[in-house]
Amino acid sequence: MEMNGSAIVAMVGKNCVAIATDKRLGQQALTVDMGFEKVFPVTDSMYIGLAGLATDVKTLRDRFRMRVNLYKHREERTIEPGTFANLVSHTLYERRFGPYFVEPVIAGLDKNQQPFICNMDLIGNINYAKDFVVCGTASDNLFGMCESLWEPDLGPEDLFEMVSQALLNAVDRDAMSGWGAVVHIITPDGTITRELKGRMD
Amino acid sequence: MAGLKPGEINLGTTIMAVKFDGGVVVAADSRTSTGAYVANRVTDKLTKVNDRIYCCRSGSAADTQAVADIVSYHMDLYSSQHGERPTVKVAASLFQEICYQNKDNLSASIIVAGWDEQKGGSVFEIPRGGSLHQQEFAVGGSGSTYIYGFCDKTFRPGMNREECIEFVKNAVGLAITRDGHSGGVIRVAVITKDGVDREIVYGNALPPQYTG
Repeated sequence: MEMNGSAIVAMVGKNCVAIATDKRLGQQALTVDMGFEKVFPVTDSMYIGLAGLATDVKTLRDRFRMRVNLYKHREERTIEPGTFANLVSHTLYERRFGPYFVEPVIAGLDKNQQPFICNMDLIGNINYAKDFVVCGTASDNLFGMCESLWEPDLGPEDLFEMVSQALLNAVDRDAMSGWGAVVHIITPDGTITRELKGRMD
Repeated sequence: MAGLKPGEINLGTTIMAVKFDGGVVVAADSRTSTGAYVANRVTDKLTKVNDRIYCCRSGSAADTQAVADIVSYHMDLYSSQHGERPTVKVAASLFQEICYQNKDNLSASIIVAGWDEQKGGSVFEIPRGGSLHQQEFAVGGSGSTYIYGFCDKTFRPGMNREECIEFVKNAVGLAITRDGHSGGVIRVAVITKDGVDREIVYGNALPPQYTG
């Protein structure tokens, strides 16, 4: 899990959610890519972030895309965050004894515009949270930042500021993550995506 | 040669020293890591050994601090006994003696650089194992591997003080970008017969480079 490096955090606000990630791809100490995508849209109002081994991140992105599209065809509606979380969990547990080395983070709004976040371990145990979830090599640092910064009922702009500070300061203490950051704020009116300027060391 | 023990603090690093006519420029990053955690992001890896000789430390933080302290003591003793400052060669030889005789227990890779009356500026590198190499310029630490090509291409003998300072800022900056175990600020020290000028280069003042 320490091979490629990553830091992903999701937080709940007032009628909105935020998901943020760093952009580094490394081979242990060497930085190979500073623009590696780890957070992907699932639907218009839901994103999934995948922290861990880069090859599994890419493979799972494609597998989830296929399963969500099939769901849409069969059910004739878009998948809800809670259902998608179970889909992800099942996909990971299918490989219980030869797992994908990823830890997913899901953030989105359900059909009633209620915020939803959760994260999982590499074999699909779902952890639902009402405040924030973290994963990646900087997860310990992120826990500290989120626990001290988070407060309930923040609007999209305040939530953006808070999640950005939590991520930037957490990755600055982790040698394996950083090199740029992306933040998505998901609101009922749409998703705002912003790139952060961070330390490139 | 010993490796780092589990949990031992690592000066995963980029260090560098360049000789010019009149003295030397030494530079280092400021990250100390314990595994992936950045234990200190403002470390000073440029350690004074005497008023005109500095060493750049990489490898185990504990080992290099201990060795530098011992050499510093011997420098004081030499000055007291001889009434003059020891040469850089003397300091480097002392580092070598300790690093070589204790090679099984140490994880230390050190660059010694400074100015003395006899030779002006000198740069010596003592990699793990305890061999001594006098060079025009030296790079060391985990980040050095990423900048050998850049340094070989950019270095010319006979550069002046300003050119050497630009050279080290560019080189250490490039290594910091690519090496996960190097980061923070760039500390630069210029050692001449008149003394030591220390400078800090923050991330926003680095020479421009491609970062994707």
